[in-house]
Amino acid sequence: MNYKPIDFLDERLGTAKFTRKSLNKIFPDHWSFMLGEIAMYSFFILLGTGVFLTLFFVPSSATTVYHGSYAPMDGHVVSQAYASTLNLSFNVRAGLVMRQMHHWAANVFVAAIVVHLLRVFFTGAFRKPREINWLVGSLLLMMAILEGFLGYSLPDDLISGTGIRIAYSITLSIPVVGSYLASFLFGGQFPGDKIIPRFYTIHILLIPALMAGLLGAHLAIMWHQKHTQYKGRGRTEKNVVGVAMWPAYAMQAGGFFFLTAAVLAALGGLVQINPIWMYGPYIPYKVSYAVQPDWYMGWLDGAMRLFPSWEITGFGHMIPTIFFPAVLLPGITFGLLMAWPWIERKFTKDFGVHHLLENPRDNPWRTSVGVGVMAFYMVLFFASSTDVLANTFNVSLNFVLWTFRVLVLVIPPIAAFVAYQLAKEARSAPLAGMPRKAMVVFRSKEGEYTAEESDPRLELELKRNAIHGAEPKVLPEEARIHGEKELAETGEEEKFVFSVSSVSAVVTEEIGERPSGGSGVYQVPRGAPGAGGGLFSPRGPRSARDGMDSGDGE
Amino acid sequence: MKFRKKLGGRVVVPVALGVAASVGGMALFSQGAAAATTTGSSSSSSTNSVTYGGTNGAGKAPITYMKLDPSTIALGKTLFVENCSSCHGDTASGTSRAPNLQGLGAATIDFWISTGRMPLADPTVQATVKPSRFTRSQELAIDAYVSSLAPGGPGIPQVNLGAASLSAGEGLFSTNCAACHTITGVGDALAGGVYAPSLYPATTTQIAEAVKTGPGNMPRFGTGNLSNQQVADIVKYVKYLQHPNNAGGIGLGHVGPVAEGFVGILIGLGSLMIAGYWIGGRAH
Repeated sequence: MNYKPIDFLDERLGTAKFTRKSLNKIFPDHWSFMLGEIAMYSFFILLGTGVFLTLFFVPSSATTVYHGSYAPMDGHVVSQAYASTLNLSFNVRAGLVMRQMHHWAANVFVAAIVVHLLRVFFTGAFRKPREINWLVGSLLLMMAILEGFLGYSLPDDLISGTGIRIAYSITLSIPVVGSYLASFLFGGQFPGDKIIPRFYTIHILLIPALMAGLLGAHLAIMWHQKHTQYKGRGRTEKNVVGVAMWPAYAMQAGGFFFLTAAVLAALGGLVQINPIWMYGPYIPYKVSYAVQPDWYMGWLDGAMRLFPSWEITGFGHMIPTIFFPAVLLPGITFGLLMAWPWIERKFTKDFGVHHLLENPRDNPWRTSVGVGVMAFYMVLFFASSTDVLANTFNVSLNFVLWTFRVLVLVIPPIAAFVAYQLAKEARSAPLAGMPRKAMVVFRSKEGEYTAEESDPRLELELKRNAIHGAEPKVLPEEARIHGEKELAETGEEEKFVFSVSSVSAVVTEEIGERPSGGSGVYQVPRGAPGAGGGLFSPRGPRSARDGMDSGDGE
Repeated sequence: MKFRKKLGGRVVVPVALGVAASVGGMALFSQGAAAATTTGSSSSSSTNSVTYGGTNGAGKAPITYMKLDPSTIALGKTLFVENCSSCHGDTASGTSRAPNLQGLGAATIDFWISTGRMPLADPTVQATVKPSRFTRSQELAIDAYVSSLAPGGPGIPQVNLGAASLSAGEGLFSTNCAACHTITGVGDALAGGVYAPSLYPATTTQIAEAVKTGPGNMPRFGTGNLSNQQVADIVKYVKYLQHPNNAGGIGLGHVGPVAEGFVGILIGLGSLMIAGYWIGGRAH
């Protein structure tokens, strides 16, 4: 008996059907759909490097006298958290590269989430039925920022300790409950000895588990709802045009994981990040000038720098200045972010289901709001480096500060207005959004070239295949079977449009006479279904005319 | 629009590159880490005596004051009259434009002229560092002349780094200096157009002079605040900061998370977006 383990599983769990369906799952292929993948792969790197770091990090505020290999710190009384981070950096083999990869991955992780969010926003991918996933994604962003801040705080160095001090003050600023909250969080007065172990538990257990769960939900919902796609020939609200999960998408995604790992490893290995040995341990009476948080907290830091020193007293309670930029602003930010699908619907009255994405120019109103809001946060972000800008460009810090106070009010409306006008202009441009026409070029026996526009059928065929780098071809029988099965189950029509192996046959060589009345349509080779095809030509057989690939076309 | 290449080229190349680059990055790193460890352990062997930059002269006084040659006073006077007197007056007693220099001591005079701050480039802004107008012997001649006019003030300190402690310097620096000059010594802008300059170009003598005389907005740390030993410790740590242990790669100017954020977004995310654009679908 040739009894395979895979059969064992299938007979007990019925995995074959699910696997077959999954391997044939269609993913639209567009580079902008891979931004979220960067975030996901960074998350995996964060988990891996983070586990390594936990093996050596000591999450304790208890003090110790440092006698490690970093001479300038010798004999200093430091926390065990700080001492273990120094040892991790200098005495654990590959410890520093792991720590730096972890930190770079965190920076890239949040950046990728933000860019992914912008893609989803500007293409309207959050519209019905994807509002829940928009909420899940927003939660992931909030958690990623919080998680980053906690991780940044753990080494207990002078810079991060200052950050915790600011976080303590922000908690205190919340009216009525602030002092209770801060006391609860820190186990008493700042700094105490509880905050590092508590941050550690939240950083390595609570939030990663929540994020993993939310990420699973994010993907499962996407899987269930199927991915959105850009408008294009052959793409409707009822189908998904793209590449199959196996092998094309799996290879692409797997490759992209390794690329992400490569970039993060290169950064971790070649570019210094957070050299805590130069910062020294956090001691409350010490302070370094020019303290910034990591970039994803920059907008909050900038807001705190720019906000005027207003204090409001009412009902016997004083609301400190810091409450407005550091508590109210993020509250409004994330509140509006999560409510956006409903806010937009309030105005558009669009209750329809959308699987086709919009080009940002198709919706000038949304694009303009998005650009304006983005400009606002960008100005706040740059405002977090007022001191660095003042020092770099030799201007007064006060001048830079006041410039940003003006810019933060002036730039967003200007950016929104310009975006609106540009989107309107682009939308009304001739042929905007129209698919480009496929041209078919013939070469006669004598070497004469003639070009003609193809008929709509060929055009559609070429267009479709040009997208997928595929050769015009009828569906292989096998594919039809899977496709029909899916149809029967979902009740939707045309679930699969199979794109087939790669040939770009815009230039076709004609041996002999052109067919009478020939549009050239049928000069494009069509591979025979079911023939040939290996791992890397899975979507159908190569044409016998592969050797004539011209590469680029249209 | 470009027609996509065959699936093979599209997927295998990125995968192969990714694997190669990951492995390469790791390999690079493990070397870097090994080097860091080696550096660490080699310095730890001499750690307990806290010696950085040689042990010559250990045991001698941490700071001695330079004896200026009285025979150079005449030259110093000539140079002073040529370069300084238009503001400070012929006998350095000050005018409406500039303060009295008599009795400030040689260290003050030496700091201002040896860092190029004097003569001033622009009297309306904070004095900027520039190449000194004088040779070292000319500077010392001016110092000798001005300090000969009236007694008082510290002489030019000569720091014996061999008698200084690096780790004590770190503690003193982070307590007394980092609040303006930043913990890495790179300097930063303060309020109202005033800035704490970078400490990276300073010589040992200039650092000690600055601490002892408090030029410009900087506080003056007399011997009641910081002993000569402590000043020498600080000088030793600042000299270390000029060439710190840069384990982990490019230092990004030691300005902290601002530079890191730009690298993370532009190089980290940017290169990955380009990679995605490379292997992903484009127009439709």
